[in-house]
Amino acid sequence: MTRNAEAATIVAASVLGAFGVTLVNFARDGNLDAQTALTFLIFLIAFGGIHLAVRTWAPRATPLLIAPIAALSAIGFLEIYRLDPVRGALQRWWLLIGAGLAVLTLALLARYSTSVLRRYRNITLLTSLILLLLPNLPSAWAFPLRGLEVNGSRLWVALDVGFTSLQFQPAELAKLGLVAFVAAYLADHQRALREAHRSIGPIKLPEPRQLIPLLVVWGLSILILVSQRDLGASILLFAGFVLLLYAATGSTGYLVVGGLMTIVGGVGAYLAFEHVQRRVVAWITPFEHYQDEGFQVAQGLFAMGTGSLSGAGPGLGRPDLIPNASTDFIFAAVGEELGFAGSVAVLALYALVVTIGLGIAFRSRDIFRKLFAAGLTFVFAVQTFLIIGGIVRLVPLTGITLPFMSYGGSALVGNLILIALLLRISHEEAK
Amino acid sequence: MNQPVRRLSIGLFAAFFALLMAVTWIQVIHADALKADPRNPRPALSERGKERGLIVSADGTILAESIEDPDDPRSFVRVYPQGEAFAHTVGYNSFLVGSSGLEAAYNTELRSRRDLTISDLIAVILGRDLRPLSLNTTLDVELQQAAFDALDGQTGAIVAIDPITGAILASVSSPSFDPESLNGDDAAEVWDQLLVAPGGPLKDRATREVQAPGSIFKTIVTAAALDTGTAEPTTQFADPVEFQLPESTATISNFDGRVCNDGISVTLRRGFTRSCNTVFADLSIQLGAEDIGITTDAMGWNTGLDFEWTIPPAVFDTAALADDPAALGQSGIGERDVRATPLHMAMVAAAVANEGFVPSPYLVSQIFDADGAVVEATTPTSLGRAMAPASASVLAQMMEWVVTEGTGRAAAVPDVRVAGKTGTAEGAGDGPHAWFIGFAPIDNPTIAIAVLIEGGGNTGESATGGTIAAPIASELITLWLFGS
Repeated sequence: MTRNAEAATIVAASVLGAFGVTLVNFARDGNLDAQTALTFLIFLIAFGGIHLAVRTWAPRATPLLIAPIAALSAIGFLEIYRLDPVRGALQRWWLLIGAGLAVLTLALLARYSTSVLRRYRNITLLTSLILLLLPNLPSAWAFPLRGLEVNGSRLWVALDVGFTSLQFQPAELAKLGLVAFVAAYLADHQRALREAHRSIGPIKLPEPRQLIPLLVVWGLSILILVSQRDLGASILLFAGFVLLLYAATGSTGYLVVGGLMTIVGGVGAYLAFEHVQRRVVAWITPFEHYQDEGFQVAQGLFAMGTGSLSGAGPGLGRPDLIPNASTDFIFAAVGEELGFAGSVAVLALYALVVTIGLGIAFRSRDIFRKLFAAGLTFVFAVQTFLIIGGIVRLVPLTGITLPFMSYGGSALVGNLILIALLLRISHEEAK
Repeated sequence: MNQPVRRLSIGLFAAFFALLMAVTWIQVIHADALKADPRNPRPALSERGKERGLIVSADGTILAESIEDPDDPRSFVRVYPQGEAFAHTVGYNSFLVGSSGLEAAYNTELRSRRDLTISDLIAVILGRDLRPLSLNTTLDVELQQAAFDALDGQTGAIVAIDPITGAILASVSSPSFDPESLNGDDAAEVWDQLLVAPGGPLKDRATREVQAPGSIFKTIVTAAALDTGTAEPTTQFADPVEFQLPESTATISNFDGRVCNDGISVTLRRGFTRSCNTVFADLSIQLGAEDIGITTDAMGWNTGLDFEWTIPPAVFDTAALADDPAALGQSGIGERDVRATPLHMAMVAAAVANEGFVPSPYLVSQIFDADGAVVEATTPTSLGRAMAPASASVLAQMMEWVVTEGTGRAAAVPDVRVAGKTGTAEGAGDGPHAWFIGFAPIDNPTIAIAVLIEGGGNTGESATGGTIAAPIASELITLWLFGS
């Protein structure tokens, strides 16, 4: 696929989004209105902008990555718009902001290259930790940057800019910074980690001295997230870290230890937190607890089952019956209105993004870029698996968003920057 | 370093494959079960506000219709202009508590097939009509309304059928309810109130509730006796005050506690017209359970009927009664475990009227499309012969004597030969169940009717089939034959 073909797929995805909005309007007995044109234009500007930035600043980057991202955003947007037109309109502006930041990322990295992230890894780390701590700022003080508590979790930051206040989740950006730091640290200590090791039975582990700084950083980040009750991000960070360690060293010991820690942590969280217990109940017996804990999961299953093969059609199902459909359960909404066909298409698009990300990691010669690309892809894949797996009852629900599809500005911005980073790595390695 | 990444890739793809399998399970393999789960509101919600076909009476009066919702011009509301009298038979259609009656039985035909799916689009291109179909019923609006009014709020039911074709002319159950009250968002609350309301207004007593038939069951015993040659109208029976049941200390006495005739002997004719229990306990035991069972089974008892909805089987348990003459004696007067719906009893009257042939009852005569063209028409069928034509003719004569000189004199209609039989069965409530079955005119029968008033109706303990059920039959037969 060439760069021109990529441009064509971006136009196609914009048409898809606009067509979806039109169908939803028709289902509401509305008419062709400005929403259709606005959706088409904003998708074209956002993804077209990234496309032009790639042409300018990362011309050798893979042309395969933007197409599936644009398609996923269009499908997700159509369901968000169908569930709540106001949220849909907001999501469109976030798409523009995210695309702008992705373009900025590409422009900056064209000047400094991704190796700057390796060189200044400690600054990246510090920035990420500060970002993670931002929601702990007092909610009521004179400074325009404030932390917010929503539903018992401290994940949000509000930035007052005169006429309005912008709200975002800094963890979405911190996630990228932490992956960059871990990749850089492992790249720097890769030889030592691989060669100097101790054996505990059949399991080989490196010198603790090499690992301690990493473990401290990682433990600290997870502690912050757990204290903020951001369960999903903690799990994501933990999984990304373990997978990266294994990728860097090839010792299965990390996977074994990581697996054991998951079990211990899972049981511990189950015993310690009441909201974790509710999630487990909803996961194992949603229909027996239909009236309370299991309602959301059961409604998600009803939605997908009723959608069956071809779906109800955009705007013709009842995904609005699922609590939090536009954030946690967007995949079930797609399954209801676009059917099995739509669900499989979405799964295939995610698998495509993961394949391309892993392909970039495979082809990278530079150890940092290899680990960075792999780490970003792992986080993306694990996040996708956890939330869809939660909806289809493979794993308990963790309350994280589905990349590019769920409603939420910070997540969209973070994921667009993630794609910009992958594109840049792809460009740098395609010499 | 590519080696561990490769292994992780395989792991990730295994995870995605697991997602694909789970989605396949939910949306393909398990989809129908999830769709049909009663807690899933989606299938019913998708029907809400959609146009449904008409249900009309035999003369074209609208019984159920979808009209444009005044609050939302895109959607429809279901209205039932004839109201409570038709509630059980026409039914209701609620997106919350389901549907009943013809609305449920013909849901596939009545619902709009416009589901806004791709297959709809193809169907429209191919020129198929997606508009809902409509039902033409056999119900007579005036007779149905008059029957409902005649019950006057008493707990009971009336079924009138065409004795030749089996077309149901009227089928009412009382007390009733307003089917439109189940249309709205508060249907679940209305439903809960109706469930506990006195008399159980949601119950269709005409076709879905069995009761002890009492003395109207003597019609069947007499048919069996005439058919087998065991007795004829002039056959003499002993006339005791109490009939001693064999192998038992129990006795059976007549309704008024007195002898049937002179205390020495009584004819079957007098026993039938005066509805003497002593005579029929005796006759039933002489006949045996098998011979009575052959007649009941030929009437469609002890099995399901082919009808618009499931009808509970009428019960005469031949096997259990074969070796128990005492129980048979009690069953022969329609008590103990004998049970039937008013519809079953109207069919018995129809069989006598129809030279022994039992007509198969039906409610829908035609299904027609939105242009009025008939898509499907019902051909009347018969369950077969339940008695010989000669037996039917003798039995009709005996039933006429019931109306001219017996317990059913209140069913008489001037200048019309009316056949009938009264029944007063042990009831559960304040009084007995008062029954009447009959048909008219004897020479050229056009209506067979069963009237049931449960628990004594407004007259309580003193109620009998002859005093409260027979006059209603007279009124309805008059209306049917003379239009007033």
